[in-house]
Amino acid sequence: MPADHSFISVGGLAKHFGGIHAVQDLSFGLDRREIVGLIGPNGSGKTTTINMLTGVLRPDDGTIAVDGVDMARSPAHHFARSGIARTFQVPRLFRRMTVMENLMVPALSDPSERRASATLRAREILAFLRLDHLADDYARALSGGQQKLLELGRALMLKPRLLLLDEPFAGVHPRLLEQIIDHIRSLNRDGHTIVVVDHNLEAIQSVVSRTIVMTRGRKIADGAVAEVLQDPEVVRAYTGARAKQ
Amino acid sequence: MRPMPRLSFSHAVQALLLAVAVLLPLVVGAYWTHVGAIAWYYALLAASWALLAGYAGQFSFAHMAFAALGGYASALFVEKLGLPLPLAIILALFLAMVMGALIAALVLRLSGPYLALFTLAISEIFRLVLVAEDEITRGMLGLEVPGFFPGSSDRPYYYLGLALVVLCVLGMNMLLSTRVGLFLRAIREDEGAARTSGIDTTRYKILVFVVTSGIAALAGTYYGHFIGILTPNIAILPEMGLVIAMAVIGGIESLPGAVIGAVVVYLLSESLRSYGEWRFVLLGLVLILVQRFAQNGLFPFIERLGRKQRPAPALKAAPVPANSVEDGHAG
Amino acid sequence: MSYFFLLTVNGLVIGLIYALIAAGLTLVFSVLKVVNFGHGTLYMLGGYASYYIIQWLGVPPLLGVVGAMVLLFLFGIAFERLVIAPMYTDKVERKDEYAIIVTFGLTILLSNLGLVVFGPFAKSPPAFMTGALVAGPLILPYDRLIAAVVAVLLLAGLTLFLKKTSLGQALDAVSQSRESAAVIGINPQRMYTIAFGLGSALAGGAGALIAPIFSLSPSMGELPVVQAFIIIVIGGMGSVGGSIIGGILLGLVQGLGVGYLPDPNRALAYTQAFGALLLVVTLLVRPTGLFGRSHLRLE
Repeated sequence: MPADHSFISVGGLAKHFGGIHAVQDLSFGLDRREIVGLIGPNGSGKTTTINMLTGVLRPDDGTIAVDGVDMARSPAHHFARSGIARTFQVPRLFRRMTVMENLMVPALSDPSERRASATLRAREILAFLRLDHLADDYARALSGGQQKLLELGRALMLKPRLLLLDEPFAGVHPRLLEQIIDHIRSLNRDGHTIVVVDHNLEAIQSVVSRTIVMTRGRKIADGAVAEVLQDPEVVRAYTGARAKQ
Repeated sequence: MRPMPRLSFSHAVQALLLAVAVLLPLVVGAYWTHVGAIAWYYALLAASWALLAGYAGQFSFAHMAFAALGGYASALFVEKLGLPLPLAIILALFLAMVMGALIAALVLRLSGPYLALFTLAISEIFRLVLVAEDEITRGMLGLEVPGFFPGSSDRPYYYLGLALVVLCVLGMNMLLSTRVGLFLRAIREDEGAARTSGIDTTRYKILVFVVTSGIAALAGTYYGHFIGILTPNIAILPEMGLVIAMAVIGGIESLPGAVIGAVVVYLLSESLRSYGEWRFVLLGLVLILVQRFAQNGLFPFIERLGRKQRPAPALKAAPVPANSVEDGHAG
Repeated sequence: MSYFFLLTVNGLVIGLIYALIAAGLTLVFSVLKVVNFGHGTLYMLGGYASYYIIQWLGVPPLLGVVGAMVLLFLFGIAFERLVIAPMYTDKVERKDEYAIIVTFGLTILLSNLGLVVFGPFAKSPPAFMTGALVAGPLILPYDRLIAAVVAVLLLAGLTLFLKKTSLGQALDAVSQSRESAAVIGINPQRMYTIAFGLGSALAGGAGALIAPIFSLSPSMGELPVVQAFIIIVIGGMGSVGGSIIGGILLGLVQGLGVGYLPDPNRALAYTQAFGALLLVVTLLVRPTGLFGRSHLRLE
């Protein structure tokens, strides 16, 4: 069935730092309720892309249309308020605030949200992530795995339509990995559109239906996971990168 | 989110200190009433700086410049423009808040030592202009400022200062108990993460600068009309250092702590006057020690002795029910 | 014309001293990522150290400079170990804040200690060499000439040290990336200590050099340290070369400014304000400064 990509449409996105082209001429679209993987060897521009999709970096060129409106040059908080939420590779929690406070911040950034309803939602999410017993602990006291989950919880408090997960599987205990995969599937069932950036191809394969491959700032493949992974150019990009190391 | 603050040891202590403060001038002589009135000047500055630097993480060295701006503007509006005093004060505060917003806009992309150096430079420029343009400001000779109250007693000033401190601290605490307080702390913790959580950090940074520069200007106005004379020396770096020391020693993330720090430091420095500069040597030493061993200041340290603690931030062994997340993670 | 020349030469001498102070400050910042707000008091201590060494040991004045530098090096190491080193562990929560406050506390402590121990009245150590160099329109007291020459030697030595010796290169490595340096076997903590010691020694040396020229007082560091802040921002906060050039430029500007602006009160205030204005403009327009390479969270 042809995808209409009307939810998110990225066209000609580009970003360079000094002489380095981190991202060049990147175009792709996302439909509602898709789970899409974004993979590629180190330095391929994946995180830069996520940063542009969340307003953390300003693209030098190109458009990012959300429901038809170009947001490429909007500030980060606009993206968040428009329902585009992300997690960071290394969790950037508010360390000297409690778990509960960490969750309240994104919720209350919506001026129409009241404390009571935000608290309720926060408790629901804590239950979903099985972190409820930690509600009043400082974020920095959490273990690495718990911090990753809280990162996810914080993103969910924004009532996002699009979730961008940057390396959700990185450095994670195998049992926690299973849980995270479960969480992602269940979030998708609830209607979230999700993009997962990661190096763990096995984990990615078990959640996504479609994957985009980037190398050296460009998109080289976009399609069903099994096909993409057999694409000779993709294989070259990965083995080429590995050979260099 | 947080339950309404209930009456606690900390509140009891603060209420007691407030009662002492109210009764003090009736018990001590004119000299100490005068000292107390000056202490309120520093208390306003320390508390507002604690909000700016401790809560919102904006380590500004321009705070005294706003005090000077408030004092000089109010005095000059009366003297040169002939405005009635209340209007002059309001205009001076307004001017300071506008300048606060401007500075905030300029320092948006700066943090840490860059922010400190930038605001230090701004403060120096302003002070030097005050020194240079002595035809208007009377420079180092001092600008004479009319008093608020008739008569020569310091008591009305003391109570005015106390009232200002109480009102400003209550006001700031009210602000902090709203979501704005939460956002300011988030900005201090990680500004980038705050932005991706939907906070317009620009707006809140400007807000906190506007509020605190307004209070600093209020302090400067109070001081000017109380002491009766203003010189650019209220904005020299050692004065800023004194306010920082007061806030840090008292409690940089606690407004009542900063007030108490200011009062204690100033009272001590006055009572130790006979020791000359040794009292400031002591101040420097105490500042270093407090930072080294009690980074949140002495007042919160003492507070904790009296009330039930939150789970300590370091190493809480979380119970591990069968289906919950395990501690630890792979490599 | 000869007035101009005179002002330029004097500005150059002052500029070289500024450059020395700024070089020390920049060394500490580039390696430790800390702005030492107490740098001015180290300069002051160096001046007094030199004075007392000359007085009590009867050595020639230039040895007083050397002695001051050695003493300040030791002091710097002690302060770094006792007060700054805890910053690297997780005992300290807000690291930027800690560094600013603790070095500020050092300023308060030392400058007031200076007042009680040394007294508020100015002291003058003996001149390096009496008399002056007279060459055409130029009259340059030998003190200033020697101070300038020694400053140049120290700055050149510092640059060579950083580029050519293995210790210097280790410091440079840590300033660029502490993790990478650790990976190749350099101990960052040791480098921090050495850098702080060296930075303090440079400040102390500058104070000792200026002492016979302008005499000593406990507050003598207040103005120069602000100039040093200005210089390191303009020159680029990690760059020793930048602080050298910035120091000389600022010295020249100030020398000429004070000489040529009509109203003396205004002249002094506005030449100082000009430097501060340069700092402000630099941070707004080109935050890495003219030559800067390492910067800290300038988002």
